[in-house]
This record gives sequence, C-alpha cells and structure tokens, in this order.
Amino acid sequence: MSAQLIQVSGRMVSLIESGGGEPTVYLHGFADVHGVAGDLMPFHAALAERTRLIAPAHPGCNGSDDLPGPHSIEDAVFHYLEVFDALGLKEFNLVGHSVGGWIAAEIAVRHPDMIRKLVLIGATGLFVSNEPIGDVFMHTQPERGVDYSTLRRMYFSAADEPLALRYYPDGRGDLDEETRRYQMIRFCSFVGFKPPYLYNRSLIDRLHRAKMPSLVVWGEKDGLTPIAHGHAYARGLPGSGPLKIIHGAGHAAHVEARGETCEAIADFLRR
Amino acid sequence: MIDPVQLYAWHFMSYPYLPADFDEKYDSGWVTVPNKLWDKDRSRGLLNTYIDQLAYADELGFDGMVLNEHHQNIYGLMPSPNIIAAALTQRTKRGKIVVLGNLLPLHANPLRVAEEYAMIDNMSDGRLIAGFAPGSGPETFNYNVASAPSRDQFWEAVELIRQAWTREGPFMFEGHHYPLRYVNPWPQPTQRPHPDIWIPGARSRDTLTQIAKNGYCYFLSSRSHGKDTAKAVDRFADTLKAHGDRYMPKRMGILMSTYVAETDAIAQEESREGIWYFLRNCLKGHQRREGRQLTFGPGVPYIPPNEFRDYLAQSDPTTPLLGDTQDWGDLQRAQSIIVGSPDTVFERFMSVLEHAPVGHLLIQFHMGNMSDECARKSMRLFWDEVAPRLKRETGRMFNERFGRDEAALEAVKA
Repeated sequence: MSAQLIQVSGRMVSLIESGGGEPTVYLHGFADVHGVAGDLMPFHAALAERTRLIAPAHPGCNGSDDLPGPHSIEDAVFHYLEVFDALGLKEFNLVGHSVGGWIAAEIAVRHPDMIRKLVLIGATGLFVSNEPIGDVFMHTQPERGVDYSTLRRMYFSAADEPLALRYYPDGRGDLDEETRRYQMIRFCSFVGFKPPYLYNRSLIDRLHRAKMPSLVVWGEKDGLTPIAHGHAYARGLPGSGPLKIIHGAGHAAHVEARGETCEAIADFLRR
Repeated sequence: MIDPVQLYAWHFMSYPYLPADFDEKYDSGWVTVPNKLWDKDRSRGLLNTYIDQLAYADELGFDGMVLNEHHQNIYGLMPSPNIIAAALTQRTKRGKIVVLGNLLPLHANPLRVAEEYAMIDNMSDGRLIAGFAPGSGPETFNYNVASAPSRDQFWEAVELIRQAWTREGPFMFEGHHYPLRYVNPWPQPTQRPHPDIWIPGARSRDTLTQIAKNGYCYFLSSRSHGKDTAKAVDRFADTLKAHGDRYMPKRMGILMSTYVAETDAIAQEESREGIWYFLRNCLKGHQRREGRQLTFGPGVPYIPPNEFRDYLAQSDPTTPLLGDTQDWGDLQRAQSIIVGSPDTVFERFMSVLEHAPVGHLLIQFHMGNMSDECARKSMRLFWDEVAPRLKRETGRMFNERFGRDEAALEAVKA
C-alpha cells in the first residue's frame, strides 16, 4: 500500500494505492477513507486483495489541494478526468460511496467508455420527489455543542453503533479526524449545497447513457440518502440489476457491514 | 482634533410575544422556530413601535440609529433593514442611519443593494452608513447559501457595489459570481465618493486585511467584551500598519447592550424580564449551548480548514455561551449587557473603552420583550446622564493617545 501525492494541472492530489490487477478507482464519502479516516479502512483493504485500488482524496480533503476559486459538481467531474489522465487510466472500474458515488455517476454518464464496471454505495446525486437527501449540513452542527448523535444516525444504522461512536464521538474528537470531517463537508458545500442538497436535477434523465455493468448497493437503514434513491439508480442505469440491499446497515454500509458489502462488490467485479 | 466616541442606538426588533414555556417546548429561536407562534393580533403596530423608539433616539440627539438584517427568527424581525431605513429617512433629521448590514450573498444581484442604498442616501440627504455582511450559519440554511464559497462571493459583491458608486457607468464587471454587462446605477449616492462602508468581522484574518486595504470601518461582531476585544483592536491596528495606515478610533466599532435606571437595584428590577427573555429565547440557536447552535461550526464551513483547525485547538465545546448566562454575576463578567445606574454604566463602558479605544459604540437598549416605556426611559437616562461624560472622557483620551498619529496622517495627506 502506498500513500502518494501526485500533481494534476498544478494541484496536488493525495491518493492511496493498494493491491494489484485490474484498476479500480474508489471515490469516497463522509464516514470513509479521507472523509474521516486518514487511511484505508478494512473494507478498502479487503477490496484491494482482489483489485488494484486507487483512492484519491477529493479536492481540499486529506492532503489534496482545493480547486481554484468557487467550484461546482461539474468542476469536480473535470478534476477527476484530469486525475485519470495523470494516472494513465483509460479503462477501469469505478466505485463511489455517498457524494463520491454522485461524482462517479456524473463521470459515468459523460464518459461511459472509460468505465468498465460501476458500483454505487448509498450514492447521493438524484432528485427524488418527497424523498429528500438528509440535511447533513444541519446535523453536522452538534446539539449542545457536543452531541453528534443525529449525525451518527445519518451515516450509520444507529447512533450508538460502535464504529459511529469511534469516528463521530461526542465532544471534541481527534484533531486530525475532526479536520478531515470539516474538509469533506466543506467540499460538499462547494459542490452540492445548492440545490438543497447534494443532487443534480438533470442526472436522472442522463443515467441511460451509462450502459456499463453496474451494481447499486444500499444500506437498508440509510439515514442520509433514502433507499428510494437506490431504487431510482438501479432502475435508471441500463446495466444494473435490482438494488442490492444490505440488511441492518446504514448509509456507510461498506464500513458497517464490510464483509457482506465487500463480497457483493468483489463478486460483481469478478463476473 | 479627534472626535469623541460616537453613540448609536441599535434596535434588533425582537419578537416579544412568545409563550412563557417557549424555552422548554422549542429547540431554537432561529430557522426552525415555528411561525405559528406569530400572534397577528398582538403584533399589530409592533414594527411601528420599534421605529418610534429609533426616532426617539434621534430626537434625544444620538449620533445615529443602527439596523441589521435577519431572516426566519425571533431575534430580529427585519428581513429587509432597508425598508426600516427608508421609514427612518422620513422620521428623523440628524442622526446617521447605519444599516449593518445587507447580507450580500443572499442577493441574486448585489446591484440591487447599491441601488437601494443610493436611494436611502438620497432620501436621508447623505446620512447613510453602508454596512455589508456575508451572513453566517442561520442564513446559510434560511436562504440556501452555500457556506464554503460565500466569503469569496461576499467580497466580490462589495467590490461590485464600490465600483458601481465610484466608476463612471456604464461599465462591464467581469465577476465570477456576478458577471454583469452593464453596470450603470441611477440614482447615485448623495455622499461622495460614497457613503462610509462598515464591515463586521470576528475571527477571519482575511476580513481584517480587506477592511484595512480598502479603507473601510471594522465592526467587531462579538456580543461579549474583555481581553479579546482589546486583542481585536491590536490585531486591526497591526493590519492597518502593514498596509501603510494607522489605527484611529473612527475605524472601529463594537456592540454593547445596556439598561440604565436611577439606581443599580431599580435597573436590575426593571430589565430582568426583558434581558432573560432575550438570553434564553432570542439567543437559543445562536449563542446558547442548549439546542443546536447554527451560527458557527463544522456544518457551516466558511473558514479555511487551517483556521478551523486552529479554532478547534483553542476552543472548548462545553464553554458556556452568552445565552447560557445563569445570573447577574455571569452577565457582568461577560461585559455584554451593562445594567445599572448612570454612574455604574459610565464606569463600565469607560473601562471597556480604555482597553479597546473604538470610535463607534453601537448600543442595544431594547432587549427581548422589554416594554416601550422601559426602553425609552433607559435611552433617555443614557443620553442625559451617561453620554455627556463618555463624550468628554473619550474626547480627552482619544486625543491623548492618537493625536500625534492623526497629525502624522494629516501631514502625509497634505
């Protein structure tokens, strides 16, 4: 495994690479590598046993430079095209979780030829009427200055889930982890605060272009992206089967139920 | 000669008719406070009562009146301070009308602010002080303004407005956020080159630099005063120096709240209900630990990550905020709301000014559900018995401390 900084159009991009074989790019979410953890979590390490995993940190996150000036989801997509160029990646698997899943879907509808297989885990990005994506910005503000229980419930199946408490403890947490959490929510404020929140109203009608084999995975108890969004992705992506539901898990299904989620994804990538 | 401290009456126009069990029943006075609590019958005439109080301040002789912009809360019923300012142009004759300020990122096109401020300046015959603010956490949620780019957006809007008032139009503005083909507003402000511009700031180093560089006035947006206020003056003075300028009291203002009565005991008795209504209800969601405070924090990420990290390292999330104040002793230590006889209020204001020699004191008299009668009495006693002494003492102190610097600045200009 190696953590590296690469230069992309004059900006530094921090990424972690692990494993060998077919390349798989992993775009992170909140309760995730770069979003809170500084390093690969057990899920990513397990996935890297089957594939060459490349996990870049979004602009402004965990050692990556900001994009210049104010930026939108379109700028994030273009940024990743430049990252793929810099890495010499022509055809690869693309796995994205949460906001990383949204970016993955935006890339897939624009450049379907680049993506061999697409995996979305609890991806934001779609507008589904009466099924709003949770207000992660509001819930990132603790109650009584110290209580992050409603934020933990957004990312995990329950506020007292041990991994939720590990990464989003009440009170002042580890300074590095709190800073990474801040960087990730700040990146999301740039690319996805408007419209409220974290979706592109045009995306759903563009999904038909992403004809590659796709797997949509959702935690049954996702408290951030309602499961209706998972069904909408699975219906809209021509190469997707029915939604793969991870029972009992929350938004970060790959963190909370890493065995089952990893197996489903590894099986899909192997087929 | 350096002017003595300028004294302004600031009205927040809070909602005074909340039920007695509001604090028990509701999580916040901001953003999500249900508007079914608006009592339309009792609220008839409320805004006019508040406007009358400001007009009374002008009659007494205050140097100006201060308004500001808030949305969807019980703290301030002034979503458009420009409307109140327009009313004041017709009701008042002398004092400055300080709008502190219009929240620029909430406007689709800041040219509208340039136009409305120019109208107010014309209607008041050049009495406008033009405040611009970026808005903070609650506005992010109220108007769906993304926090992360909001500062960039704000400074671009300020620059657009300044140019709209000073450059010959029509001109093209090549902005990121507000690209405009034709900038050419009519009317232009009465004051030339433009009304004084005031900008609030608290933590951001970038804000101080921009204010210093452009010759604006710095309003320290903090409700409590102590060592940090003096430090803010020093930091601003250093920033001015780094840009070839010198600190003068007229470049900086602070907010203080007060209640003045004949004696300390009477002052406490008369102001108790209004002050605690203000602390418990109006500050809930803003400056209280109870509930979810929306003003600052990780969910409203408008400062750069390195500054946020410094904030984390230097702060304790369990420290009580102003709204958590338990008793008069706590309140006195916060140096935020000064309650007492004219002697007490003079001494305590003066001690703040000795440590933080600012030229503009923006003073909140009406708090929470305070009665019209009490608010007026406090203003009158302040103006008659505290203001003359503050003017005399600060006039002497400012000239002693800054007279030489002023002479040097004048020499440079000449």
